[in-house]
Amino acid sequence: MTIPQAQVGNVIGLLEVLQDFKGKVDLAKVADELMLELDDILPAVESAKLLHLLQVDSGDLILTEDGKALLAKNASGRKRMLNKTLAGSGEFKAILDFIRNDHGGEVSKDEMKDFLRENMPDLDAEQTFLWIVEWGRYSLLLRYDTDNGKIKLSKAATQKE
Amino acid sequence: MAAGSDSPKLVELRGVTKAYGPMSPRPQVVLEHINLAVRQHEFVSIVGPSGCGKSTLLRIMMGLAKPEDGEVFYHDHKLTGVCEAMSMVFQTFALFPWLNVVENVELGLEGKPFPKEEKRKRSLDAIRVIGLEGYEEAYPRELSGGMKQRVGLARAMVSEPEILLMDEPFSALDPLTSTHLREEVLHLWADPALPPEAVVMVTHNVEEAVYMSDRIVVLTSRPGTIAREVPIEIPRPRDPRSPEIYRLVDEITGMIV
Repeated sequence: MTIPQAQVGNVIGLLEVLQDFKGKVDLAKVADELMLELDDILPAVESAKLLHLLQVDSGDLILTEDGKALLAKNASGRKRMLNKTLAGSGEFKAILDFIRNDHGGEVSKDEMKDFLRENMPDLDAEQTFLWIVEWGRYSLLLRYDTDNGKIKLSKAATQKE
Repeated sequence: MAAGSDSPKLVELRGVTKAYGPMSPRPQVVLEHINLAVRQHEFVSIVGPSGCGKSTLLRIMMGLAKPEDGEVFYHDHKLTGVCEAMSMVFQTFALFPWLNVVENVELGLEGKPFPKEEKRKRSLDAIRVIGLEGYEEAYPRELSGGMKQRVGLARAMVSEPEILLMDEPFSALDPLTSTHLREEVLHLWADPALPPEAVVMVTHNVEEAVYMSDRIVVLTSRPGTIAREVPIEIPRPRDPRSPEIYRLVDEITGMIV
């Protein structure tokens, strides 16, 4: 599964907490410090892991080189970095290809949900759609206009062709 | 870029007293005889027990509320209306649900003498700086709390305010998101190319105040008076887990409770 299922701000916030702990800290300690339940943090941990921004090693969260590089960048730099990571990874790439190849760069929300149901039947299509919009917008890969219900490749994504 | 005591005063409250129901037999005095100056290049936080008038003080500073006694000076001139050189970020974001991100940001330029295209251009610039690029056409209901507050920040920054006022800007956000957004605000603050010249933040979170500020103003409980002013001279960037920070947090918390 390579579609992050946590808010962007939570994932980057987690990395910043990790950096405050010099790049390595026990997961339970993070939860304790932030007065959060483990279940509240795990989606951010999983998402950061699949974006290669942190590693988990016997209960410890460890910031990776990619994670450190991301934190060192400004807002645009972070977007560019995640743009590359997401555009080249598993399901997210498949979704971009679906929009690009079959639909000339634009699909409706319903078409996207049909695609998800067909190809990723284990996922909740509605919720996954929202995560795709969240990360697609942040990384400048996708644009979504609720006025017409269309999701499309942004210029930043199409130029890479 | 901490301010020295010789940096010019941007805004100053002199003998400000604020009461609710001043004509009633028992007026509620919320702020009493506040003398406070904010200087160029200064990040000032106002902390104090709840109900001490912190937010009211911010509103008086901007000219949104009038004090019963005392005056507000902006660059040594008496402020008579709402100060155009300040803008405010609110705890609850205060976005218009029927406007998308770029339209909400453009509201920060309402009344400014720019043509429509210029307003759009400036709004898009602010959106990029605040890390909202890609969300231009999103509506507030589609955004997480952190992204909503970025819209609030972009709307406040788009007019290039000289003084940015923030009223509990992070307290409606979850802990991970607020950590992230605090860092972003400090990044913006550290960039000398960007406005504002000074920040005044109201918060009940003492750790946040110590971590972010050059000076902390501690108010007493109602009626709010200035109990202490504590300069925070720890060099930036700061380590939120350093013993100096812990010591100051303990010291200031002790003054409040």
